[in-house]
Amino acid sequence: MLYFEKRQSVPQHFKIIIPIISLLIGLAIGAISVAIAGINPIDVYGGILSNAFGSWYAFSETLVAATPLILITAGLIVVFKMNIWNIGAYGQYIMGAIFSSYFALFASNGLSKPMMICVMVISSMVGGAIWALIPTLLKIFWEVNEVITTLLLNYIALYILKFLMYGPWKNPASYGFPLSKTFPQTAILPVLFKDTRLTIGIIFALISVFIVWFLIKKSKFGYEIRVIGDNPLAARYAGISVNRDIIIGMAISGALAGLAGMTEVSGIVHYLQVKIGADYGYTAIIVAWIAYLDPLVTILASILFGGLASGGYSLQITMRVSYGIVGLIESITLFSLVGAQIFLNYKLRWKNGSP
Amino acid sequence: MVHHSIYISLLANTIKAGTILLFPTIGEIFSERAGILNLGVEGMMLVGAFIGFIVSYITKNPYLGFIAGVIAGGIASLIHAFISITLRGNQIVSGLALTIFGGGFTTFYGQKWINMTLNNTLPIIKIPILNKIPYIGPIFFNQDLIVYLSYITVFVMWFILYRTTTGLNLRAVGENAKAANAMGISVYKVRYIWTFFGGLLAGAGGAYLTTSYAPFWLDSITAGRGWIAIALVIFAMWDPLKALFGAYLFGGINALQFQLQATGTTIPSAILNMLPYIGTFIVITISSIIVKTKHIKPPKELGIPYIREEK
Amino acid sequence: MAEIVLETKNITKMFPETIANKNISFNLKKGEIHALLGENGAGKTTLMNMLYGIYMPTNGDIFINGEKVTIKSPLDAIKLGIGMIHQHFMLVETLTVLENIILGLKEYGFIINKKAVKEKLREIENLYGLKVDSDIKVWQTTVGEQQRVEIIKVLFRGANILILDEPTAVLTPQETQGLFKILKRMKDDGKSIVFITHKLEEVMQIADTITVLRKGEVVKTLLKNETTKSELAKLMVGKTTLRDFQKNKKETNEVILNIENLTVYSDKGTKSLKSINLQVKKGEILGIAGISGNGQKELVQTIAGLKKVAKGKIIFNGLNITNKHPRFISRLGINYIPADRLAMGVAPNLSSIDNAIMRRYYRFPLSKKGLMNYKKAFAYTRMMTKAYKIKLDNPFAPIKLLSGGNMQKLILAREILENPKLLIASYPTRGLDIASTQFFRQKLIEIANKGKAVILASEDLDEILSLSDRIAVMYEGSIVGILEAEKADKNTIGLMMTGAKA
Repeated sequence: MLYFEKRQSVPQHFKIIIPIISLLIGLAIGAISVAIAGINPIDVYGGILSNAFGSWYAFSETLVAATPLILITAGLIVVFKMNIWNIGAYGQYIMGAIFSSYFALFASNGLSKPMMICVMVISSMVGGAIWALIPTLLKIFWEVNEVITTLLLNYIALYILKFLMYGPWKNPASYGFPLSKTFPQTAILPVLFKDTRLTIGIIFALISVFIVWFLIKKSKFGYEIRVIGDNPLAARYAGISVNRDIIIGMAISGALAGLAGMTEVSGIVHYLQVKIGADYGYTAIIVAWIAYLDPLVTILASILFGGLASGGYSLQITMRVSYGIVGLIESITLFSLVGAQIFLNYKLRWKNGSP
Repeated sequence: MVHHSIYISLLANTIKAGTILLFPTIGEIFSERAGILNLGVEGMMLVGAFIGFIVSYITKNPYLGFIAGVIAGGIASLIHAFISITLRGNQIVSGLALTIFGGGFTTFYGQKWINMTLNNTLPIIKIPILNKIPYIGPIFFNQDLIVYLSYITVFVMWFILYRTTTGLNLRAVGENAKAANAMGISVYKVRYIWTFFGGLLAGAGGAYLTTSYAPFWLDSITAGRGWIAIALVIFAMWDPLKALFGAYLFGGINALQFQLQATGTTIPSAILNMLPYIGTFIVITISSIIVKTKHIKPPKELGIPYIREEK
Repeated sequence: MAEIVLETKNITKMFPETIANKNISFNLKKGEIHALLGENGAGKTTLMNMLYGIYMPTNGDIFINGEKVTIKSPLDAIKLGIGMIHQHFMLVETLTVLENIILGLKEYGFIINKKAVKEKLREIENLYGLKVDSDIKVWQTTVGEQQRVEIIKVLFRGANILILDEPTAVLTPQETQGLFKILKRMKDDGKSIVFITHKLEEVMQIADTITVLRKGEVVKTLLKNETTKSELAKLMVGKTTLRDFQKNKKETNEVILNIENLTVYSDKGTKSLKSINLQVKKGEILGIAGISGNGQKELVQTIAGLKKVAKGKIIFNGLNITNKHPRFISRLGINYIPADRLAMGVAPNLSSIDNAIMRRYYRFPLSKKGLMNYKKAFAYTRMMTKAYKIKLDNPFAPIKLLSGGNMQKLILAREILENPKLLIASYPTRGLDIASTQFFRQKLIEIANKGKAVILASEDLDEILSLSDRIAVMYEGSIVGILEAEKADKNTIGLMMTGAKA
């Protein structure tokens, strides 16, 4: 009979092997699903690969998708380390987009480009942080479950965006399409490389990751969040202000998700619309987990999943393969990853006869 | 008299819309009572809705479709059960993965079914005598078979929970798994059974949606109802009877929103569509305050993997 | 000679890095009370867990009524007529007593037949004098009642062999006598009882046969009538013997901590502390005695700033610290050793270093301008492990991999190294071997001798009696009385623990 036996030490190389195998399982089941639907999996994966990494332009598009992922994940890591479940990155991302768009659309007069970008960056971070702090305060005061509230706030943010796009902020010249006027030139993020859509947003992302890495590895706050995440009672006992740290962490998390929203509208779309990268908020959860909440590994994982997203989108257009395949692969990868954690602390053993 | 019938039909629709939430809420209550938090309700509902829809479409029999949807939800829940019970994985993340899975799976395979409509929906079966009761009759007893099944489910499950050994074992496992194990109850078995049951009922909610309330196919057709159901579990304080009120309250919001949209209103549709989520947000906040001030505790073992001591 | 109902032959139990039991052979006769005597960590509980199907032996055989058996689960054990009363009760608090008693049984029907259950309960009550109210929820009962429920549970299943693991640890001396009466009635009824303990007096009072365990092995099996307490003590601890502690009696009347009318609510909304008044003086060790669950934990945690004060005041060195932040309180010189190390004392998945610096990570030199200096943290941990003889192979490995004793030592060292003015120690020597226990008891006395103060809350009355200058006894959230340790005896304290005034 099979059983699990406790390990005396954690095999460190498993932390590299498990994510890779998980991704492979995700891809394998994805391939089977594609084959069941009567499509050749080699075509699909070949398509994703070439659309994600096949050319400089394809790779730049992957980085475009990776930018918001890196930003959101960097923020999620801070709260996930405390075992606070911010599932609301999507809503915070929308709020960041809305807040910064307000300035781009209605308050851009007389501001130079650097000023305008500054205003948009700050407003997006404030917007995201506010959206993250609502559920945080409810959790701290009344123990309202943050998984549910942050998630509900995603829907609420989305309908606020829809309301604006179909109503007050709608571009009268959009022929009924739910989108705003195009931003003025001063509100558009400069592109890094000619003929790509890659903007300085990626630099914001890399700076953010570095700051988060520094916070976690080097700062007192980093020590505190580790203790809180492992045992909140011990944290209180050690005199850590748990609630204060949770508020700071959620504010950082929301602010970075908000900033991601800004880089998307200001850098890529150039106006506000209903569909702005819906899946980043959820994909970032997977990215954070597959990177074992390590900020630097996040960059690599974001590029990988950014590629999957970007390749998947292209595939939907070129081969008419549903984008659902991306969610399928992502979810199976996440299942495998969560399930495989047991092998860090236990080994599978076989015992003859009775257990 | 015209106004009168509008209210009756609004309330009858409330029951219908509430039924979509009632099944998954009951299912999640039992799963959580066993100590397993399954945040994949939305995903299981989507799978149930999708399979329910296509089986109804192909067989032209909504009952078969409904049953298929129920089973599909159950099967989906087994992934979560395996990861959180056998592999002792993080239940929050596994549940989220299940939700993403439900979305991905149904979007991928549902591509060619988008905007198709079902002609044979669940037929109304009037219950003789009872449906003649003024007000009550047309609201509660002028419904389809699945609605009646939901009434039975609530009361039977309440009875099982509080009056039978099965319910006793379930409650013990969710409150103190170690003690339950010491009394010879298999914690793993109980958890598998009730997580599966939760999946069946989530599937039922989804399947009821596409075989009766909204008989067509769209991506993410459940639109967050799975999350509302999870919130309702807290509203119901893990009691099946209280779940009935919560589900019908939100069914009411849904029905009202639908009616307003149909009759034409000046309220923007985005605001109308936001209502259920705002409502859920408020309800979960208030219920949490009540739970906290009245010192009601969720099942103690909720979300904690059970590790039988090594032999 | 009475028949042998249970026999183990050469039982060995190996865990990945330790041998918990080695070649254990012992037998239990019908109608006898057989004491299993040994120190903490001698392997008593491991052995019994194998008889109850919680562990499986690595080697060796178990015989019930002469037949070889394999016990794979508690269910198997129950079927073989073995019942176990665990040290930590296996009760579901939110269920009623009746529901707990029939938990896992099938013979009372799908729909529970309460009438039949109550009838059988009355039979057991008449037979052994075990009485409980079966309709109330377990969390509403006292610890003594909960133990009765556990015994009834076992009898209800028709057990002939009862294993009691340290059953008197949670009882007052009077309740202990009550338990012994019940055990004798069960013995007269032909039941066989295994009584696990480390208390010599109880062994001499209740046992017929005694098997002494040390370091996982049987030292000797003897008949009670043919042995003495001192022989048993020698067998149990080997060469080391307990010695008395030397205290420099420095009479001081200077109050360091003053608690006035302290009222605290539990998270169930009931009062866990009711208008407590207490003073601690410099240079003394104040013992706090009480049955677990009577407010000792709440009292010490409230002083440490971990529970909210509803009414009343706590004054430390003239400063009001009521509802102050735990950090503020610890910086004033109050340090706290929690009773449950895994629940509060450590962050189990973090490294030993991270845990060792928990009290001072925010201060120079470990931290400067918000940045951590982990090199200094490493050096500090090294110093700590050397000074307190903590066995630490890899300070970067999660602390949960340490043995319980080593983990406890690290917690004690961490708090003592803060050089507290007031040290609050909850059950500080739980799980330590004799040598370490001696070492840390000596430390507590040194602290008091230096003119500082110690609050010692413990369930171990012997520990409290041997160390304290004064003893405060708690019952249902109140202090029933405060005794001078010299004038106190176990019996008086025991009576007070059940609410009798001094």
